Amino acid sequence: MNKTVNETTVLPQLRHMFAMPHARSFLTVVTSTLALILVCLLFAPSSVTWGALSGSLPFAAIIAIVGLGQLLVVQQGGFDLSLAGSVSLAVVVSTHYPQGDNALLLTGVLIAIGCAILAGLANGILVSFFRLNAIVATIGVNALLYGAVFAVSGGVPKTTTTLLAAIAGGQTFWLPNAVYFALAALVVVSFILKKSVAGRRFEAIGANPLATRAAGLRVQLHQLLAYVYAQLLYCMAGVLIAGITREPTAFQGDSLLLPSVAVVVLGGTSLLGGRGFPISTVIAAFFLNQLSQFALAVGVPYSAQTIIQALALGFGIGVYSVRWTVNVTRQPKPA
Amino acid sequence: MKCSVRQKLALAGAATVIALACSSLAQAETPSWCGSKKATIALLDGYGGNSWRQVTTASGKQEALKCPSITKYEYADGQGDTQKAISDIKAMAAKGIDALVVFPDAGPAVLPAITAVYKSGKVIVPYRVEAGGKAGVNYNKFIGTDFKNDGANWGNFIKSVHPQGGNLLFLSGPAGNSQGLDELAGLKSVLGPEYKFLNPDPFDVTNWDPALTQKVLTAEIAKNNKIDVIVSDFGPSLVGALPLFKQSGRSIPALATSDGNSLGCFWTDVQRDNPDFKLFTVSTENDNVRLAVQWAVAEATGGKPPQEEIFKGPVFENSVTGKPHPVQCRKDLPGQIYLSAELSPEDQTKAVSTK
Repeated sequence: MNKTVNETTVLPQLRHMFAMPHARSFLTVVTSTLALILVCLLFAPSSVTWGALSGSLPFAAIIAIVGLGQLLVVQQGGFDLSLAGSVSLAVVVSTHYPQGDNALLLTGVLIAIGCAILAGLANGILVSFFRLNAIVATIGVNALLYGAVFAVSGGVPKTTTTLLAAIAGGQTFWLPNAVYFALAALVVVSFILKKSVAGRRFEAIGANPLATRAAGLRVQLHQLLAYVYAQLLYCMAGVLIAGITREPTAFQGDSLLLPSVAVVVLGGTSLLGGRGFPISTVIAAFFLNQLSQFALAVGVPYSAQTIIQALALGFGIGVYSVRWTVNVTRQPKPA
Repeated sequence: MKCSVRQKLALAGAATVIALACSSLAQAETPSWCGSKKATIALLDGYGGNSWRQVTTASGKQEALKCPSITKYEYADGQGDTQKAISDIKAMAAKGIDALVVFPDAGPAVLPAITAVYKSGKVIVPYRVEAGGKAGVNYNKFIGTDFKNDGANWGNFIKSVHPQGGNLLFLSGPAGNSQGLDELAGLKSVLGPEYKFLNPDPFDVTNWDPALTQKVLTAEIAKNNKIDVIVSDFGPSLVGALPLFKQSGRSIPALATSDGNSLGCFWTDVQRDNPDFKLFTVSTENDNVRLAVQWAVAEATGGKPPQEEIFKGPVFENSVTGKPHPVQCRKDLPGQIYLSAELSPEDQTKAVSTK
């Protein structure tokens, strides 16, 4: 009898606590990150020194920004494989158009933003209005974007402008500027998603497009806009990479596609769509980046570095697959 | 004005002498590797998407056109796609091009296409990257690059600036690439055990990607308090990463690498604040293609083949001795040109500006 009372009083509280998927994903990713930092401190203390962090944080910021973009698309049950092309296009437009001239940088960035909006509209229209499979549509748009990359650059990198290098690669108050850009992106995405009417509708549509359509929401428009928002974030990441690496290649986006999906999954967002967790995604980006720094700092051969990353990623995703809240969320049987 | 017969004769004589002198001058300008048989030539890249390849392509064209018997120069870029690289090689041969100079990025995967072209009676000269096979069986000649020589040059510089030994960091491209392994062999042929390599054996993998280079260097700087010399086979990719030393409050160490305008200008800008930053570069070896073109043209036009079969990249800059050159920087020109190349900086600028 006591047990039943206990269940009826304590369990709902527990359930309430764990019923917040945000808290769960947040807890998981924070715990994993803290565990990783502990492992780093034990086995590769150099990877968590301030020098190492200030060098690697800009790359974590980039992964966080593209992760946020991918998150918005995944929330609508989609996938955006055009990320590689759009990041690369932003890189080449923001380096080739100014040709090293600071005065032309702003125009270059605006052109990159224009391209991003066009690519987002193309993706969005194909997926939401023509009902094309997201993977197929975005692969097609990715090919178009790479066509544009070649048209702009001929596949050849250009040295970035000094102004962009200072903005994207510089530091303010001991933190790399790229981190502030990522935090700004996080605040904007979180605020709009969680606190604005449009954001709440956006999440609801991702969770159940049919029900929300029946409720009179403009499902297709929101789905379309997800791709546009995502492209804008990719564009931001591309411009930042152009500044951080000084002489970026024309294919800088290629290596970001997998991490973008990985951080969304590690952040706890379902690939089937629905609620998104921007903060967890950003922390997951730090986790993923720190993991690769750990592998580098340990000094293992390159093959082992890739294996460590793959294993850790598999482990991280595995943690989510185990339904570890199943016991507390189960309804108590009637006494 | 009237001229006497004697004057006319003198004039005619003088004209003949000038004409003969001019023709002999023209003949002196025609290189020995250029024969009299008319021929067409093509340069085929497996992956042409960087400024090094653009400068190299323009260099190859300039070299081929030194020979008046060459009537046409063509170029194809495999764009990193092995299938396209193979079909490019076959298509050029089918179009009736007489001599092909191939950069076989995909390695042995393109050997069957190279062999087929060779067997059909065309001249084909792969260069720089080994595709396997044998000269006279699969192709006319393979023009390799002496990467060990680069490694030995770096080693000698390291010995000169740190004679007592020191800590080295060696960065190269993709895992297991033969260029990096050869360079390491060259380094070790000169340096004794007092020189310690801090990187995992055989080298830190960077894929020659500036972003990955930056990540790798971040980890190495944090891990190693004392790095005396960084050795890298792609200097310009370090420009974004070297400021990391400043963030850690340390001087950039000595650097033994390959040249690039952006790197030279970077050194010029920061060397005053970085007392340990000594720069030594070997040529980025754009002129490797010239030797390959000379061989192909000689075979196709009936000229005399050059004596060298392996390209040895010369030493270019040394900030300590200033020999053979002090560090070069042309701020008025793009960062992604190579002042060590024979092609003039202005022509290189044109080459890297074409889309």
